[in-house]
Amino acid sequence: MNLLLASTGSYPRIGDSAELQILRRTFAAADRGEKTAADLADAENAMTRLAIEEQARAGLDVITDGQTRWYDPISHLAKKLSGVRIDGLLRFFDTNSYFRQPVLTARPERHRALVADEFRFACNALGTLATPTGKAGKLKVKAVLTGPYTLAKFSLAEHPEMRTLEARVQAYATALAMELHALADAGAERIQVDEPAILKCPEDWQVFVQGLDTLLRARDGLKQKGKQIEICLSVYFHDAGALYEKLVALPVDVLSMDFTYNPKLVELVSAAGSPKALGLGLVDGRNTRLEDVGAIARQVEKLLPKITGGLAYLGTSCGLEYLPRDRAQLKLELLGEIRAAAGL
Amino acid sequence: MSRAKLEKLGVQLPLFPTTSVGSLPRPDYLVQARADLKKGMLGAAELRELEKKATAFWIAKQDELGIDVLVDGEQYRGDMVAYFSEQWPGFTRSGLVRSYGNRYYHKPIVTAEVSWPGPTTVEWWQYAQGLTRKPVKGMLTGPYTMMDWSFNEHYSDRRATCLAFAGVLRKEVEALIAAGCKIIQLDEPALSVRPEELPVALEAMEAVTSGLDAYFITHACYGAFEHIYPKMLELAVDNFDLEMSNGDMRLLDLFREHKFTKDISFGVLDVHSHLLEDASKVRQRIKQALSMIPKEQVWIDPDCGLKTRSVDEAIEKLRACVEAAQAFRN
Repeated sequence: MNLLLASTGSYPRIGDSAELQILRRTFAAADRGEKTAADLADAENAMTRLAIEEQARAGLDVITDGQTRWYDPISHLAKKLSGVRIDGLLRFFDTNSYFRQPVLTARPERHRALVADEFRFACNALGTLATPTGKAGKLKVKAVLTGPYTLAKFSLAEHPEMRTLEARVQAYATALAMELHALADAGAERIQVDEPAILKCPEDWQVFVQGLDTLLRARDGLKQKGKQIEICLSVYFHDAGALYEKLVALPVDVLSMDFTYNPKLVELVSAAGSPKALGLGLVDGRNTRLEDVGAIARQVEKLLPKITGGLAYLGTSCGLEYLPRDRAQLKLELLGEIRAAAGL
Repeated sequence: MSRAKLEKLGVQLPLFPTTSVGSLPRPDYLVQARADLKKGMLGAAELRELEKKATAFWIAKQDELGIDVLVDGEQYRGDMVAYFSEQWPGFTRSGLVRSYGNRYYHKPIVTAEVSWPGPTTVEWWQYAQGLTRKPVKGMLTGPYTMMDWSFNEHYSDRRATCLAFAGVLRKEVEALIAAGCKIIQLDEPALSVRPEELPVALEAMEAVTSGLDAYFITHACYGAFEHIYPKMLELAVDNFDLEMSNGDMRLLDLFREHKFTKDISFGVLDVHSHLLEDASKVRQRIKQALSMIPKEQVWIDPDCGLKTRSVDEAIEKLRACVEAAQAFRN
C-alpha cells in the first residue's frame, strides 16, 4: 500500500514573526494608500512561497499553494465570474471565519482563469526549492477548487433564472469544468474539489451529483485527449458517516473525508471498505491538541487493508488555516511520524 | 412578558428602546496608546486611564444621542473571547489565527481547568454606570461561543468544555447582579454553527441564567439560523439581539413561518459598511419588523458591534437608530 502525505488545502498566511506578517502589514498599508496592488501581489507571492516551503520541509508528497490568496473559499472563485456581485459577510460553517456571499445578478460565466495562474505560480515556486531527500520527481502540487454545489448553496440569486439551486449548481459547474481544462493545460494532475456543504444538506444529494457529474465529464474528456487528471472529492466540517456509502460510490478518483466529527467513522469505513483511494483526514485541522501518533497509526493500519487499489492519502481533517502557524507545522510533521509508526 | 420583567427590575424603557450591541470604536489616542504599550513606551496604568477616558466619552455620547440602554463600548477589550481568556486561569494564548479579510486574533487554548478568579467585568461596569442615569448593560460572551472559539486541549469533549464555561460565567453574572446590574448580555454568535449541538448551547445558557434576577439578552449574528429556528427560542434569555440588515431581512421569513416569541433587538444598520443607510431605509426595516413582531417586543440597534467603524461613522449610525425609534414612537 502506498500511503502519501497530502495537504488538505489551506495553510496559515500569518505567523508571529515580522517576516510572517508581511501580508497583513501590506494589506493594512494598502488600506492607508501607502502600498499598491503590485505590493500586495508581492506579499501574497512571498507567503505562498513560504507555505510551499513549509509543506515540503514537513515531508508532504502532495502540497497546495496554501490558498494564501483566497479571501475565502466562496468569493475567491465567484468574484472572478461575470454575473456575480459579492455581498455581505456570513460565517463559514463552524470556523469562526467568514465568507462574502455571492449574489448572482446573471448566469455566472467564466471569462478568465480562476486558479490556474495560481497553480502555475506554485509549481514554479516549488521548482526553485531544493528537493527534499527522497522526493526527486515525486513531489506534486494539487490544485483546489470549491465545488459547484457548495458555491451554489452559499450564493443568492437576483436573476430569475438563477433562483433554483439546480440552476446555480449547473452554472457554477460549467464554469468550473472550463477551469479544469485550464488547470490541465497548466500541468495539473491532481485537483481537489471541496464540497463541505453536502454533509450538512444531504437532502440536496441529486443536485450535488449533477454538478459533480459535469466536472467528471470534463475530466473524462481530458483523459481522451491524453491528459490524466485525478479528481479528489473532499468533504469536511461534519460527519461523513451517514453519506459514506453514497460518497464512496461516486466515480471520483479519491474521496477525502474529515474523520474528526465522528469517532466511529474509522470503524464504519473499515467495515464497509472502499473501492477507491481515500484521503484520510485523521489529524484534526481545527484543534491545537496534538494527536497520539500511535493511536492514529493504529487507525491507519485498520483502514489501509480495506482500501482497494493500493493508494491512500494521509492528511489533516481540513485545511490548516484555522490553526496558528506553529501548530499547523507540528500537525504536518505529525503526518510523517504517523506513517512511520504505521510501518510504511 | 419581558417588559413586565424589566419593570419589576425597576427599569422603565420607552417603546422601541435603543441600544448598541457592545463594542464601539476606539478613539485614535487609544489605538496609539495600545500600540505604545506593546512597544514598552507606555505603562499599563497610563493605558487604563486612557481607556477610562474613552469609556467616559462613549457614555456621554450615547447619553447625548438619546440611546436608552447604554454599553461601555469595550474600550479595554480586544477579541470577545480572548479578553476573558487573558483573565481567567486555564488558558494559554495561541499564535495568530485569521478571522476574515485582514483581521487576525489570538485564539485562546484551554490547557487546564477553567476557573473564576473573581469579578472580571464588574469594575468596568460600575465605572460606566457611575457616569449615567440610564441603564448600562453588563457584557459577557456566552458559554457556547467561549467553547467554540477556543481550542481545547484539556476537556474531554465540547459539552464538558461548554459547561465548564457556563459555571464560570454564572459566577460573573451573579457578581454583576450583586453590583446592581439589571440588564446582562451574553453574546452567542456561534449559536448556529453546529445545529446538532443546540441542546448543549441551551443547557449551558440555562446553567448560566436560571433563577437569577436580571433581564438577559443574547446577541447572535452572521449565522445559519434557518437550521436552529424556532428551537433557538428556548435559549434561557429574554431578548435576542439579531443581525437583520446584513442578511437583507431574510430572517423575517423564518418568523413568518413560526412566531418570534421573545423580545428582539432588531439590527437595522449594517456595521460592515462605511455608508450610512438613509433614514427611509432604516424606517422601512423597522416597518418590516413590526409586520411580524408586536411593537412592545422590539428594540432597535445596529447589526453588530461597531468597533470596525470610525468614531464618526459609529456616532452617525447610532444617531440613525435613535431618530428612527423616535419617529416610530411619535
